[in-house]
Amino acid sequence: MGRRRRRRRVDPADAARALPEAIAALSQTLPAGPSPETFRRAKFDRPEAAPAFWRLLFCVLSPQLPDGASASFSPEAQVRSVKLALRTQGYPRRALAQLPDDGSQGGRELLLALAWLLAREPLPERLLAQNRVQLGDEMHVCECEALASPGPPAPSVEADGCVDIRHLQWLMGKLRFRWRNLMASQQEQCALLGKLLRRLQRENARLQAALEWRRRELVFWQWMDTVLDACPPEASQPTFLPRIPTPAAGALEPLVRELQALQGELREAVEARRAAWEAGVGGRGPEWSAARTALREAVGQDLAALRRACERGGSLAQPHGPRRLVRTEAGAPRGPGLRAPEVIEALRSREARLEVVLRRLQGQCRQELARLVGALPGLVWILPPGR
Amino acid sequence: MSIVTVQLGQCGNQIGFEVFDALFSDSHCPQGLCSKRENEAYQASCKERFFSEEENGVPIARAVLVDMEPKVINQTLSKAAHSGRWKYGQHSCFCQKQGSGNNWAYGYSVHGPRHEESIMNLIQKEVEKCDSLNGFLIIMSMAGGTGSGLGAFVTQNLQDRYSNSLKMNQIIWPYGTGEVIVQNYNSILTLSHLYRSSDALLIHENDAVHKICAKLMNIKQISFRDINQVLAHQLGSVFQPTYSGEGSFHYRRNPLGIDWQVRPPLSGLPMLGKMSLNKEFHFNTSIANLVILRGKDVHSAELGAFKDPALYTSWLEPVHAFSVWKTQRAFSKYEKSAALVSNSQFLVKPLDMIVGKAWNMFASKAYIHQYTKFGIEEEDFLDSFTLLEQVIASYCNLGF
Repeated sequence: MGRRRRRRRVDPADAARALPEAIAALSQTLPAGPSPETFRRAKFDRPEAAPAFWRLLFCVLSPQLPDGASASFSPEAQVRSVKLALRTQGYPRRALAQLPDDGSQGGRELLLALAWLLAREPLPERLLAQNRVQLGDEMHVCECEALASPGPPAPSVEADGCVDIRHLQWLMGKLRFRWRNLMASQQEQCALLGKLLRRLQRENARLQAALEWRRRELVFWQWMDTVLDACPPEASQPTFLPRIPTPAAGALEPLVRELQALQGELREAVEARRAAWEAGVGGRGPEWSAARTALREAVGQDLAALRRACERGGSLAQPHGPRRLVRTEAGAPRGPGLRAPEVIEALRSREARLEVVLRRLQGQCRQELARLVGALPGLVWILPPGR
Repeated sequence: MSIVTVQLGQCGNQIGFEVFDALFSDSHCPQGLCSKRENEAYQASCKERFFSEEENGVPIARAVLVDMEPKVINQTLSKAAHSGRWKYGQHSCFCQKQGSGNNWAYGYSVHGPRHEESIMNLIQKEVEKCDSLNGFLIIMSMAGGTGSGLGAFVTQNLQDRYSNSLKMNQIIWPYGTGEVIVQNYNSILTLSHLYRSSDALLIHENDAVHKICAKLMNIKQISFRDINQVLAHQLGSVFQPTYSGEGSFHYRRNPLGIDWQVRPPLSGLPMLGKMSLNKEFHFNTSIANLVILRGKDVHSAELGAFKDPALYTSWLEPVHAFSVWKTQRAFSKYEKSAALVSNSQFLVKPLDMIVGKAWNMFASKAYIHQYTKFGIEEEDFLDSFTLLEQVIASYCNLGF
């Protein structure tokens, strides 16, 4: 039994709205997206639509520019850049290349170019992924920066115990200053969090628009067919493919022969060198080969040890920089990057080693304090509660 | 982190313009003697500190201009707009039609409270434009009427409203042979009030800058513009971005965060009586020194001489008192440049001189009525004298 096609009853008012809404959704996902009205004007090749579309294609085809940098490019530069980028990607229509550089014409051709780009790849999704808000769900794994900084200078202990009160007052001032800095930093953090929230809200809106677009794009493609029909037929369709010159039949033969001759020469030279070297060292005899084997073994062991050492601190010796936290399924195949349990394990063992060192230093401090206390009779020493 | 500048009076506004101009020119200087990326980081840092961005791309100085007369402010605004490279905000200035007549009390007791709301609103608007506020730079003269009296009032207000932000007052120390007869009164009132409410007083002496123009730069007819440009150059070389320690990866976020420790401790010390200043000091004892190096070979610069304990007071180790900031990026096309910001006994003599002259005038109650008329009583003068004598004594004590 076949599948029966069900005809959905479409309300004509909805049908009229469907296209502009689809275009609006698309526009929201694109940088510098024009309004649905501009799209309509472009279909009829109205000149006022052209600049908006040149700008749009420029932003879409050169995504590595930061926001607002496109303003520093003149309209002519933008037009040339767009033409070059499309040509590089293999855009077939010649009419676009022939549009004037001042960016005053070509709405319809540009609309076709946009549709071509949209058909080739999931453009809105790619752009959204590229421009996503950096959330700060990143952490540093390497500690190079922390190790490089020498830290605050250790407070010097006065041997004779006399402290100038002015020094204490100075320290108080310093403390107050640091406190105020802390408050200011916290205020800054609040302001930045607010800013981040607003950016996330804007990004959410764009993501929703992308979903809308995917739901409604059919009506857009139907409309694009009419746009294509509206174009005058292209005079001729020369291929844009570069011509690969076919080599003449006998052209390769001499090259192949020459190559073979050179290879032969190389082989002879190598063998002559090796024979000479063997003659030079071969005189040592059996001890030499024994030494050589021993050497090989030692090198092999060193290499293995190095490999193990690398693997142990191993994944943590990888490129530095922040890493994004990504959640995966429990049994999922391992992707690139580190796994949290490994990192945690490495950090735990490092923590354990540092704890040992800390205990040792604390013991030394205690001994020193006890010695100092012994030197001052009549002093009561109350230790802080132990952990 | 950003700095909001408050330009007060004729002096403050003229200097403020030169400062922003110097900062902008330097940050857009193509020959920085460093890599492109370094230059871009420097530019971005300078921009964040001193300028905000507008739609059409022209940077706007983070500044509030205040004066009781419109003439200087209008000149300043138009000079900035004329350059086409940066400008002041359209609504960032406050001025009135009537001046202060060099009367400190009028600026402090009349103009201040009367216009407090408007001025603080302007400042608040500027603060809100900052992602993160590091603090305020208040540029003012010490001995004028508007700049100094109103400046003291505004600084006090900033202390109340923005107690967590840092405030640095850039003060112009008047010529010794200045024309304003009550300039010493104004000076002591300004200094004593600022000492209580500001975090740092950065002082430039007109006489010293004048000497630089005459002797080092060989300018024949020295105008205020020349003086202001030298000042702006010095301030720029302090405030432009730097790295703070070895191996830092980012420009310092804290441009005003110099551990000034301005105040040598006041209380609890026995007063040593009025020091006779005939005693020659071998060293100008410091409580804090900051050296800022810019340009070529900064990393190999030899700074050992600054760490000599003899330079510093006995209860402070050089490592705590001496800081150095560096960057390879050259400043204002100078291949190498250095600036020293010093908190030391250097100003004791000039300060003592001003206090002495003011005291002599006060002893005969000359011109006091100008002040008492507007609410600055003799007690206020006496408080100021007491505070400044304490400051002088504390700085002198650094030598022990």
